[in-house]
Amino acid sequence: MSASLTRYRTLYLFWGVLALFFAIDTIKAWPLDWSLDPAPVALGSGQAATGGHCSAAPK
Amino acid sequence: MPANRLGLAALMALAALTAATMIAYAAGVRMGLLLLIGIGYGIGLCSVAFGFTTGWRAWIVERDPKGIYAQFVMIVVASALCLPLLQARPDELSPAGGPIAVCMVLGAFVFGIGIQIADGCGSGTLYKAGQGHPFSLVIFPLFVAGSLMGSLHLDWWLSLGSLGPVSLPQKFGAGVTWLGQTAVLGVLAALMWKLRGTVSKRWVGPGIWWAAIGLALLATLNLIVAGQPWGIVYGFGLWGAKLLTWGGADLSANGFWGREAQQLQLVSSVLTDTTTVTSIGLLAGSMGTALWQRKLCPAVKITRTQWIAGIIAGFVLGYTSRLAFGCNIGAYFSGISTGSLHGWVWLLAGFAGSLLGVRLRRRLGFSM
Repeated sequence: MSASLTRYRTLYLFWGVLALFFAIDTIKAWPLDWSLDPAPVALGSGQAATGGHCSAAPK
Repeated sequence: MPANRLGLAALMALAALTAATMIAYAAGVRMGLLLLIGIGYGIGLCSVAFGFTTGWRAWIVERDPKGIYAQFVMIVVASALCLPLLQARPDELSPAGGPIAVCMVLGAFVFGIGIQIADGCGSGTLYKAGQGHPFSLVIFPLFVAGSLMGSLHLDWWLSLGSLGPVSLPQKFGAGVTWLGQTAVLGVLAALMWKLRGTVSKRWVGPGIWWAAIGLALLATLNLIVAGQPWGIVYGFGLWGAKLLTWGGADLSANGFWGREAQQLQLVSSVLTDTTTVTSIGLLAGSMGTALWQRKLCPAVKITRTQWIAGIIAGFVLGYTSRLAFGCNIGAYFSGISTGSLHGWVWLLAGFAGSLLGVRLRRRLGFSM
């Protein structure tokens, strides 16, 4: 097996595992409630940002 | 441009738009837009090897200031745009407001050591993994595990002492903050110019300046679209926490994951997390760029000792970036560009750690 093929296999494996994680998450996660869908752009939406790393800071 | 190169560019643009449309369909238009912003990050970082870690190392080892200057340009441009927006729309847009805490300083210092061993910070590990760099591909899952572990222990670390977040724009206003921060970066840049050594061989030409400006504009768009600045580490911890809950763990009693917002995020699709979506875009953008540059999956020689050191460093990076309330992106870049004092403290502690990290890197036989 060539070294270059092995290198590519690591990348394929990486994306494969990532895709599997997203697939399982899609199955396990609550169905998305479209009524809670945030506005396309936060600026001008009147909604406060939620989640993400801003939610990681202590309140 | 040859026809086959034009075809490849068209194919990659089509793939990006298709993926963004699919994410928009699955998780909302906002997430589709954030995926495109993330792809832009990947292109900007990978196309010129824009590295926070390498920029610091180039200065420490060769007194080459170009990489750090590019970081300063990125911060000055982003803060010029983000600070007035944050001041005008505080109900819609949030800054990266981490606390000044004992664990934040310790975390940033050890993170600074780790990035020199792993040869990548938060954004660096991501874009190099997208590039197919075997070292970063292996380090990546360890980064996730470390970030999860750090989040599980965060409350204990915070009990060591914290002054809380300090917002400079709230104290001085957006204009004075921007002027003050730019002046400090200007003085640092002037000092570095006096002490400079070699002419940069790592970043030849003006590409790095365009990348710095482009990344700053994308970070501003990130704030406008997501309502919060660019971040990376939170998403990694979330992925780890989800895996843990799938295995049957109950995190409702944990100080970090037990909060209402985090509990909701744990049961929601990971595609509703802004940091996850931009990070996936970054991975894809850098992969596309590496493919375009014919640099996908570079061949590297790594010894067993270096592998072991890299794996440990990967875990440490994840753990300490959670304690430090972000990595070079969420804390250093986004922190300073949105006027949070913790960004400056992070910069001092992280750079001090890198001074030690570069020595360790040399001792481990890594290329400098």
